[in-house]
Amino acid sequence: MSVRSNRIVRQTLTIARRDFVATVFTPTFLLFLLSPIIMLSFGLVGAGGATSMATNAADKAQIVAIVAPERQAAMRATDARLRKLFGRSDQPPVLTFETPGTTPATQARAVFAGAGPDTTAALYGDLAAPTILYGAQGRGDSRYLAELSEGTLRAAASGARPLSAATFTPIARERASSGGHSQAAFFSVFGIFFLSLLLSGQAVGTMAEERNNKVIEILAAAVPLEAVFFGKLLGMFGSAVLFVGFWGTLASQLTAILPASMAGGLGEIGPAIGLPLFVPLFFAYFAMAYMLLGAVFLGVGAQATTPRELQMLSLPITIVQVLMFSLALRAAGGADNWVTRFAEIFPFSSPFAMAAHAANFPHVWPHLLALAWQALWVGIAITIGARAFRRGVLQSGSGSWFKRRVATVGEALSGTPTP
Amino acid sequence: MTNAFAIHATGLVKNFGGKRVVDGVDVAVPRGAIYGVLGPNGAGKTTTLRMLLGIIEPDGGHRTLLGHTHPRDASDRVGYLPEERGLYPGMRARDAIAFMGALRGLDLKAGRKRAVTLMEGAGLGHAADTRIRKLSKGMAQFVQLLGSVVHQPELLVLDEPFSGLDPVNQERLETLILAERDRGATIVMSTHVMAHAERLCDRLTIIAGGRHRFEGTVAEARGLLPMRAHYVPDRDEPGLAAYLPDGAVHQRDGWHFPVPDGGVEAALRRLIDGGHGIAGLSIERPGLHDAFVRIVGASALDATQEISA
Repeated sequence: MSVRSNRIVRQTLTIARRDFVATVFTPTFLLFLLSPIIMLSFGLVGAGGATSMATNAADKAQIVAIVAPERQAAMRATDARLRKLFGRSDQPPVLTFETPGTTPATQARAVFAGAGPDTTAALYGDLAAPTILYGAQGRGDSRYLAELSEGTLRAAASGARPLSAATFTPIARERASSGGHSQAAFFSVFGIFFLSLLLSGQAVGTMAEERNNKVIEILAAAVPLEAVFFGKLLGMFGSAVLFVGFWGTLASQLTAILPASMAGGLGEIGPAIGLPLFVPLFFAYFAMAYMLLGAVFLGVGAQATTPRELQMLSLPITIVQVLMFSLALRAAGGADNWVTRFAEIFPFSSPFAMAAHAANFPHVWPHLLALAWQALWVGIAITIGARAFRRGVLQSGSGSWFKRRVATVGEALSGTPTP
Repeated sequence: MTNAFAIHATGLVKNFGGKRVVDGVDVAVPRGAIYGVLGPNGAGKTTTLRMLLGIIEPDGGHRTLLGHTHPRDASDRVGYLPEERGLYPGMRARDAIAFMGALRGLDLKAGRKRAVTLMEGAGLGHAADTRIRKLSKGMAQFVQLLGSVVHQPELLVLDEPFSGLDPVNQERLETLILAERDRGATIVMSTHVMAHAERLCDRLTIIAGGRHRFEGTVAEARGLLPMRAHYVPDRDEPGLAAYLPDGAVHQRDGWHFPVPDGGVEAALRRLIDGGHGIAGLSIERPGLHDAFVRIVGASALDATQEISA
């Protein structure tokens, strides 16, 4: 390496080190590090609330069978058998029996208007051809009552003793399932999006800090602005690596901590390309996404002169970022269509989509191409971002390159200098 | 030829937003000198210094810095104190100094050691571990100045170094500048306070309205104006002005007039012959301030205001 390159590398690392230390050794970094827990807590509280509401609603609902007392025991037994097919959260409402009166049809209608639990569906008449009424939320429950009638009659026809006695043996898969690949793809896209969003925001924050402190001229005097720019990105990236390392280590140990049934489920989630290749690829794509977005954020952020302007400018970028995320999520499904191809090729969604590709497909070569393509765009973004940064921060522009060329041509044609 | 100069620039031009803020400025800073860049506010001093250092690129002209046509190639040998002071408020003073040294190629560990030595030398040793946000403005400014010299640069560029400093810190700064010169460094400083330039600068350039107006020594600048005589009569009498050379002005402390080409003898003879006594007479060389006003002129000051507006 030449003396100049050595110097630039050294200066870049000096700035990166300063930014890394200034970011990591602060109480706010702890908040940043723990932000997934905070998000998870919010999610759990929200989910808990939703579950509680759903449970309460289920507790307050019932399905009613208006059948003769001699049928009720058989029907209760069939209900108990059929309920095993449903998960805990998908259980039909409690089955309640009523003995038919003189007009079961009127009786069935009356249970919908009665006090107590809400009736979602009610059955009356002969089980071979029952009539089932259902309310606005009871369509599924009405089908369940029909199945219950069928099951009760079948049980009566074949005898009470079960005809089949199955043995259940849980099997842990040795390889991730196709669904697990898709889930890994989703987590990859979400992880990269989440991290790059947080870090790009921080990069803009440091930009505001530089402007407020007026340190930028000292940096610009000593170091090429491209190196300042790259150093800042690198500093932020270092803190991101710390973040990913911390949570990655925790996640890798999660299967050891969790109960066997849950750990088995997690074991099915995995990338198609294999974990040893996926981890470096995830880092590489995260680096690309971060560098691309960080360059845009820093370049645009440098144009703002007040924190308010900074926020205003950040908003459209964040919206674009969310669009890229949505596009990449489409690709995470693993479908082979033009949306996926577009997401994989378009520079700003490519890192997300290709991380999902690594989770869905085992081929290695597309990643070599994608990384080269993304590196090219990172170079372009950093060059343009650094120029915008120079113009915004030092107010040192004297018209665009295009304007200057036009002025030069104008001078040449007219023979007089353009003012 | 350029090797004799730490900085050599000719015809520097810079436009901002269609306005020419620097228009053909020449600068030649001899190695080992203290060189002043003088000019009124908005004259283009900071822009000129930024171009010389390669912080911004000129739109025209040529420059070499420590023999390099690309100023950045010499950046490790240069120290710079910008006009707008800036430090990271969360850093400790010695770390801030070491960081600035590290940007210019000094090892961080060595920088921290040197920072403490420099701070002790400047009487600020007690603040070495204090965070910048807790320092007074003057102390923080001094810390930044130390940061610009910690790597012992060959060339030190100071943009308005005295602004915002109290008299004690101004004297400290003058001592530091002279010490740097004695170490062998070349110093370029911009200022619009003539007293500092007069005391410190070996040579200076005067810029006004983005244009180069003068280049030479302080004595040469002052030499542009004639010597002035200060005559104190033994008693104030009407009609005294008739005995004095053209341009004589009466002030509270006596009469002031430019020394004529032939000296003051003829005027003195006329006064004595006219029966006027002499309580005091002195010949004074005009100060840099007068020379500056003469060189810059009212029209340039107007142009300057127009540019900065």
